[in-house]
This record gives sequence, C-alpha cells and structure tokens, in this order.
Amino acid sequence: MDLNNRLSGNELQKNLSGQPGFGNFNTQHPQKWEDPSIIDYSMRIEPPFRGFNQVKVGQDGLVNELRPTNKIQEWDPSAMLSSFSFLEQKIHQLRDLVHLIVGRRGQVLGRPDELVTQQQQLITADLTSIIVQLISTAGSLLPYVKSTHSAAPPSMGQFGQLGGAVFPSIPGLNGGIQLQNTSGSKVSNQPNQNDVSANCGSEQNHNNEEHDLKEEEDAEEGENLPPGSYEILQPEKEEILAPHTHFCTICGKGFKRDANLRMHMRGHGDEYKTPAALAKPHKESSSEPTLIKRYSCPCTGCKRNKDHKKFQPLKTILCVKNHYKRTHCDKSYTCSRCNTKRFSVVADLKTHEKHCGKDKWLCSCGTTFSRKDKLFGHIALFQGHTPAIASEETKAQVGPFERREGNQVTNKVGSMNFNFSPNASSESGVQNIMNVKGNIDDPTTYFSPLNFDNLGGFNDFPRPPFDDSESSFGFLLPGSCNYNQKSAADDSNNLA
Amino acid sequence: MSSRSSKDLLSFTEDLLTRVYEKLGSESDRKSWRLVCREFLRVDSLTRNHLRVLRVEFLQSLPGKYPRLQSLDLSVCPCIDDGTFSLLLNRHASGSESGSLSWFSWARGLKRLTLSRAAGLGFMGLEALVHACPSLESVDVSYCCGFGDREAAALSNAARLRVLKMDKCLNVSDVGLAKIVVRCGKLERLSLKWCMEISDLGVDLLCKKCLDLKFLDISYLKVTNESLRTIATLQKLEVLAMVGCPLVDDVGLQFLENGCPLLQGIDVSRCECVSSSGLISVIKGHGSLRELNASYILSELCTTFLHCIKGLKHLEMIRIDGSRIAEPSFSVISNYCKSLVEIGLCKCVGVTNMGIMQLASGCITLRVLNLTCCGSITDAAISAIAESCRNLVCLKLESCNMITEKSLYQLGSFCSVLEEIDLTDCCGVNDKGLEYMSNCSGLKCLKLGICTNVSDKGLFSIGSNCPKIHELDLYCCSGIGDEGLGALSMGCKNLMKLNLSYCNEITDRGMEYISCLEELSDLEMRGLEKVTGTGLAAIAAGCKRLADLDLKHCVKVNDSGFWALACYAKNLRQINLSYCPISDMALCLVMGNLTRLQDAKLVHLSNVSVDGFELALRACSFRIKKVKLFAPLRFLLSSEILENLHARGCKIRWD
Repeated sequence: MDLNNRLSGNELQKNLSGQPGFGNFNTQHPQKWEDPSIIDYSMRIEPPFRGFNQVKVGQDGLVNELRPTNKIQEWDPSAMLSSFSFLEQKIHQLRDLVHLIVGRRGQVLGRPDELVTQQQQLITADLTSIIVQLISTAGSLLPYVKSTHSAAPPSMGQFGQLGGAVFPSIPGLNGGIQLQNTSGSKVSNQPNQNDVSANCGSEQNHNNEEHDLKEEEDAEEGENLPPGSYEILQPEKEEILAPHTHFCTICGKGFKRDANLRMHMRGHGDEYKTPAALAKPHKESSSEPTLIKRYSCPCTGCKRNKDHKKFQPLKTILCVKNHYKRTHCDKSYTCSRCNTKRFSVVADLKTHEKHCGKDKWLCSCGTTFSRKDKLFGHIALFQGHTPAIASEETKAQVGPFERREGNQVTNKVGSMNFNFSPNASSESGVQNIMNVKGNIDDPTTYFSPLNFDNLGGFNDFPRPPFDDSESSFGFLLPGSCNYNQKSAADDSNNLA
Repeated sequence: MSSRSSKDLLSFTEDLLTRVYEKLGSESDRKSWRLVCREFLRVDSLTRNHLRVLRVEFLQSLPGKYPRLQSLDLSVCPCIDDGTFSLLLNRHASGSESGSLSWFSWARGLKRLTLSRAAGLGFMGLEALVHACPSLESVDVSYCCGFGDREAAALSNAARLRVLKMDKCLNVSDVGLAKIVVRCGKLERLSLKWCMEISDLGVDLLCKKCLDLKFLDISYLKVTNESLRTIATLQKLEVLAMVGCPLVDDVGLQFLENGCPLLQGIDVSRCECVSSSGLISVIKGHGSLRELNASYILSELCTTFLHCIKGLKHLEMIRIDGSRIAEPSFSVISNYCKSLVEIGLCKCVGVTNMGIMQLASGCITLRVLNLTCCGSITDAAISAIAESCRNLVCLKLESCNMITEKSLYQLGSFCSVLEEIDLTDCCGVNDKGLEYMSNCSGLKCLKLGICTNVSDKGLFSIGSNCPKIHELDLYCCSGIGDEGLGALSMGCKNLMKLNLSYCNEITDRGMEYISCLEELSDLEMRGLEKVTGTGLAAIAAGCKRLADLDLKHCVKVNDSGFWALACYAKNLRQINLSYCPISDMALCLVMGNLTRLQDAKLVHLSNVSVDGFELALRACSFRIKKVKLFAPLRFLLSSEILENLHARGCKIRWD
C-alpha cells in the first residue's frame, strides 16, 4: 500500500516538477522480486490474468471494474474497502491531472514534445499504480489463499506491493495511449489493445526462443530429495499461463526475464544505463539460509502435484510452466508444415519445425525418424521393415511449389510464407489475442481489417493459420489467401 | 555343317538333334541351323533358353516362341520403356482369357533379365515386369543412370533374386538399397559400382540382411572403413571388389584380416589411402587367396609384402600395375606362387629381362601376362616366356618398343594356343613378324595400332592363316592398303571388330572388300580421306550386322553413302558422324530410318542446319539413348525437343 501511495502521491508531484520519478519505482522492483515467500511468488504472477480480463470486460472505464470485484468480496472486507477508497482517490487525482493537461494544451501548443511525453509517462505511472492496486485487491479474493499452506501468510499490503512491482504494464500502456489520444473512445481503444496484446505475443515468442528447453521437467527425474527438505510452491494455473512476469514501468512491455527487462530499460534513458541499474539484482538469501524450492503442479491427480502419492517435484518455475502446458493444456500450436504435429509449448513447436519435413526418415511400419542412421538401425533390427521411399512424398510436395514459383508475384509471396516455417510468433500472436479476448463470444469482431493491418505491419508476421484466413483474411489479401487455401488443398490431395 | 544329306539328319530323333544343336558355338551357326528346315527350327525353339532382342517390335511375339526361355537380354533393344511393358503386359493379360497364355508362360520361367542401359524404363514398368516374372533370379540394370530408389523398390519385389548388377544407377541411395536387401535376402552377387549415393549405412544394412553374399562390388563408392568392418562379418563372401574407394585405408583392410573366412579374391586397386600394410593384413588372414588386384596403390613392392605373398600357395592372379618392382621380387613370385595363371605388370617400373626370365622359369602355367609399357624388356624376355609358358593365351606388349620379329617368331613357334596379343605401338613389329605370328592359328584378337611398319604383306599372312580372328586393330597403320583388306576379307570371315582409323591409303575398293565380312559389327574408320559415298554404301549393303560405325573425319563421304546407310544398315546401334559432310536430309534419314540407333555423335556437321538437327532429333527422340551435340545448339534447339529427349532418359552430351 505504501508503494502505491508513493507512486500516486510523491511521484505525481515529482513528475509535475519535471523529474522523472520512475527510478524510484524501478529500484524497488528487484527487492520485491527477491522476496522468498511462496505465496508472494504465486500471487505476483497470478493477478495479471484477472487484470487482463477486467480490463477487457470494462472497456469503458477503470472505475467500473471495481464493481464486480466488490460483489464477490468475501475476504478481509476492511482491507478491500481501504484499497477501494485509495483507488477512488487516485482516480480523482488522475482525472484532475488530465484535466490540467487538457487545459494547458492550448498554451503549450508550440512547445516541444518533451512535456507531452512527460505527461504521458506520468499518467502511465498513475494508471499503473491504479491497476496494480486493483489487481492486488482482486487477488486477495482468490480462494487458494485460504488453502495454501504457509508459515507466514503475507499481509495485503505485501500483495499490493509485489503486484505493483511486477505487473504494472499492459493495461497501463493501454490507458496511456488512450489518454494521449484524448478521445478515450471505445473505437480507438480496441485496435490499440489488440496492438499491445499482439506485441506481447510476439515478445513472448522471442523470449521463448531464448529459453533453454533443456530445462525439461524430466531433467530432475532422478533427484531424490527427502520430503520436507524443500519447500513446495504451487503456482496457480493463471500464473502459469501468464505470458510475462516482468513489465516495463514506462512503456508496459512485458518480459519473461528480468535481464531482458533491464536491457530494455536502457532505451528509456541514461539513468538505466548505469552499472547499478544494469547489475543483476543480488540475492540476499546468502545472509539467511533458505530452503530449497521445489514446485508442484496445480492439477490434482497429476504426478507432479504435491498431493500425489508418488509426488515428483518440479525444479523450477519454468519446469512447472512447461509441464503444465504440455500435460494439462490443449496442444494449440500446430506445425504448419506437416499439419499433424501439435504442441502446447511454442518452443516445442519451434524445435519440431527445425526438423519437420526436411529430414523425415520414414519406415514402412509408419515410424518416423529424424536421422537416417536411426532409421537404418531400426530396419536392421526388425525383420521385413523397409524404408519408405521419401522421394515420392517430397516430390509431390515440392512439385507444386516449383511449378508455382514462376507464376505471379502474389503467389510467390504466398509460397514463401508457406515454405518458410511460419514462425510460431504469428500463431502465438493471434493465439494471444484469442486468449485475451477469450471471453468475447464472437472473435471475428476483433479481427477487423484494421487489426490485421497492424499485425501485418510486423516484420516477422507470417501467414496466419488457415481457419483465420478463411474467415477474415479472405477479403483482405485475396491473392495470397487463395493461394494458401489452394496449396492446402494440393497438399491434402498429394498426401491422400 | 555336316556333310550328310538332309534326309539322314531328319531321321535323327529330337533329342539327338537337340544334343547336336547344343554343340553349336556361335550365334551365326545357330542361325544357319534354324534356316535348314522346319524341324530344325522347332528344335531351336524348344531348346533355346537365351534370347537377345534387338528390336522392340519382336518383343511382342518372339519370347512366346521359346518355351524354355530362361534368359532375356534387352540391353541393346531400343524403346524399352514403361509404355512398352504396359502395352505388352496388358495385351497379354487380356489375351490370356482367350487362350493365349504366351506372355505368362515364358515370363514365368524367366530367370535372368538384362536391362542394361534401359534408361527409359521407370519404376512402374519395372514393377510390372518383375511381377510378371516370379522366378527371376538375376537382373542386370547396370548403366541405367536414371534409376533411383523407386526403381530399386520395384526390383525388390523379385524376392528370389540372387544376382543383381546395378552399376552406375546413379540415383539409387541407401534407401533403395535397403529396399532390395530387406526383400531380397538371398542375394549372392551384388554389384554397386558407381552407385555414388550409397554410403556406409546402406552397406552396413546389406551386410546384416544378405548373409549369403558371395560377391560384392563396392567400387568407387564413398564408403569408409566402417563399411569394411561390417563387410568383414559376411561369412560367405568370396570376392570383394573395391576399386577406387578413396575413403578406405589400411585400418579398413585390417577388419578383413579376421573376417570373411571364405575370401578368395580382393580388388583394392586405385584405393588411394591403402598401402602395403593393409594388404599384408588381408593376406595374413586369408592364405587361400586366389586373386589379388593391388594396382596403382603400391609405390614399391616391399620385402614384407613379398614375404606375405610367399604364403599364398593358391594365388592364381596378381595385378600390381603401376608399382616399382625390384628384380629379386620376380624370383620370389616364381618360386612360391606356382599356380599363378595371370600376372599384371602394366606400367611397372623395374621390369627387366632378367626379372621376366626368372618369372617365366617358375610360372609355367601362366596364361595371361600384361607387360604394357614395360619398355625395357627385349626379345630375350619374350623368348623365355614363349619357351616356358606354353599355355599362354593372352599377352599384352603395348609400347614395348624393343620387341622385334624375333619375339614374334618365338611366340608363333611355341605358344600355339595364343588367342590375344596386343602389339600396339611396338614399332619393331613388321610384316615378317606378322608372318611368324600367323603361326598361332587360334589367334582371335590382334592389336597392331601404330605399327607403321606393317603393310599389306603382313595382312596377307594373317588373313591366310588366322581364320578365327574376330578383332583386329589397325589404327594408324599407314602402310595398309586395299590389297591387305582384300586378303583379310578372304581369310578372316569371323571378323567382328575392325579398326581402320587413319589408314589413309584405303579407298572405296578396300571398303568393298570389307563389305564381304558378314559378321562385322563394329567398324571404326576415322579419317579415311579417300573413301567416298560409294565405299560407305558398299559397307552398308554388305555388313548386315554392323552395329557400331565411326565415320568421324570421313570428309569425302557424300550423301549417297549416308542414304545407303539409312536404307541398309538396319542394325546400326551407334554412329559417329562428327566432321562428316552430311546434309540435313541425309541426317534426318539416317536418324529416322535406322530403327535400332541409340547412340549418335553429331558434332561439327557443317552442312547441317539447326532445323536439320531439330528434325533429326525429333525423328529419333523416342529411341535414342545418348547423343553428343555441338554445345551452342543447346540454345538453338527448341526446348520441347530437349525436354522430350530428357524425359525419355536420353543423355545429351554438349561438346
């Protein structure tokens, strides 16, 4: 709570006097991150999902969002009340500030943009704190707080702080843009939102690429820690599925890793370039001995769940994420080359796509191998098995492309998209939008032409999945889209 | 044939006639037999088990006439493609219901199939063919350069396959080989020469699946020592040929030391990385080795290697071409390798008279001796060989310049069974020498290229005394004239292969003599500047069996000759017309009319226009397999014809 107070009160003043006050905010961030408490951790991650939903539901204003939370309130009402009053106060402040800016706009017409950006940042920060507060308030309602076993349940304030430190951004940015436009209308709001979420999606993918897939859940299979020698953390589903854990306090961009965020921050000013700002936040755990942390899958009945008889803990939070997605989520990423293999973790899809198609070694029994020597080992072992002749299949697949290559420019574009592995960023980009808009009944409303123009603007935005292209892409890019469908049909013919 | 009257012969029973028929050696004799009477023809039909089809038209009806047919050779038949077989098989399949089972009756018994150079054949035709011939045991698809994995897969349906030759099937990879080895587990002989796509993996699988393998040729493959490691596990392997395997070294050969217990022959020639130590390990492990080819890998015949050779009591053939050999080595070989039948010393440094004399003293069973480019040997050495090696059949003395008629005298006197002698570029050979040589009445192959001292007189002696000769090389024998050819045509009626290139004195009259050689199938007459169209016309009309004709630089031959060629030389399969003054029309006629033509070299035809080429190629595009053209034509000819040629498996060489 004190953090938010500071944000709202102190920093507003600082900003008004022309000093960027985000340094403060930022310096606190690492400390919070290092907080060893289990619940803190899970809480930290948990809220943004709610946040997302709420932002979506209440497009017309942040204040509205408070109401639904109020209704379902059943946890520490007094704390919640106080937080609401804070929020109210805060929103009032912000409204005043915006009024002030609107009023001044006429006067400062000829002035350089510095002031405008400062104002923007200011508003962003305020909104951020509002949302953080909101999230933490909402988070306090979550049922698992009750069930979580913990030696020391943290106070609400702690929640708020942590949430604030970690999740300020996406809605914040949205709000910022909205206010900057000064219209604040819903029409302009939607595309923006899409834009941001798409951004998040692609960002996530980049991060995923960096991720070390080797941190498999199976990696620590052999580990045999005596029960009780470690503490078990069980992140919530929503936390696991949240795309990011680190957000830029200025622009709201999300990151999977703190280091990436620090790198990103350099772009916001020289003060982030100091060795201190760039340094890896030190673990203070050295002073006080901490238990080894192990993770539990939130799915009951799963072997990785702490209630399971033969519970096998997961080593890191990343292991949890990958395990959860692989085991308990839909395999929503389909390889666009083979159209058969499906994955729930983007990185898995990427790994697959590296090998998909180009070196498929197929046995007559239907088993496929990534390496020729493996196939031959298999054939040597099993009586009567022979290698399936790849040339027929590949020729059939390659053939159409070769023929088309000389056709038209549009076709060429299409074929390029088709040939290159549609980097998962696209799909996940779309995917993310879908996730974010999950509660909207008719997704097509969101795939407005404008949205797709925006998305198409990304350099690495590749071919959309077929379903989408049929519904909303058809009229946009007739040439390439037709092509896509055609080639898909060709493919199926060839395979048949 | 026999001097009896035909009535007596006809009274013979069928089985007696069959036994007589089986004694016939050559194809022409069998042809004469068939022409005697119906009864003889019937015996021929019932007895014959091998058929070499020359024309695709005959393929429809011919095989059905021979109920005992076991072997079908389609290697020289044009238009062997999927369409041919689909037509053939479908026709007979539908015809079978109406009582004509001809196709299946002969196809079912077929055991050997030669499809060498059948480049137009695809996997579908092959599959149908293999399906129709369930008892197939031996298939030769060598030089079908376009053959790939799918063709190999089609072949693999012949589960009884024991012999497979797939030299230069360039596109067959490990996958194709795997198909074959898995399904044809009974393979005994396999040649993978020049199947460049095959790697260790394929060979490894082969050695795991085909345990009955007796003969394996992996020449020129990019396989490594790993392949030899698995080859060493083959318990029945008798012969291993691995010419020019650049990645195999002594370590690989060491695997063989303790493997392949039945190994009798190994060819490691031109394996760059193999040295004598690798060979020694092979020899140590296999005391019963019969054949050893170590050409072009030994820089020097070292003493340890010789020591090992001593142990090879059964060695019959050794080739150490291109090595340096010291004189004492010969005595070792002659003292220990008593059963040697063949020695190859081609281009060996250090081969002396003394050495050869020592060799001759010990190896009296020698039948084949190759002394090509051993320039320092003289008559003394040859005399020693002639005196001790009375069974000598083949002697190669190319570029042995010190040889004179004295050697030939010795050979003619002692080596009565000599069949083949190569005297190319031996300037000491003269008419007198040939006269001595003609004492070897069994001579079949005589090579006298660049023996400029030979004249008509020498040919007289050959012509009058060597009736069995079937190959004669007179390349650049500028002393030869028409009269010599006259003598040849009188005496050597069996001549099949004749090289007259650059014998500049030969005129149309000489060609007329040649035209009497009915067996002649291969004639090279490059640069005969005095021969005109009349001479060529005589050849075309007379030599009915002519299959391969080289007319390069025959600048005086005019269209009348080519017209005659187009009309009469119906068996012509390969032709070289480069630098000939042939016209558009004549070229089209030659290419279109000669229905067996499959290989043509057509460069530097100054009188032929682009349209002429286009038409000529169009006329033969459905059957030509290989054509050499002037490089700029690549851009002048229509892409349609080039694609058409390519699609039918024709290989175009641009010059």
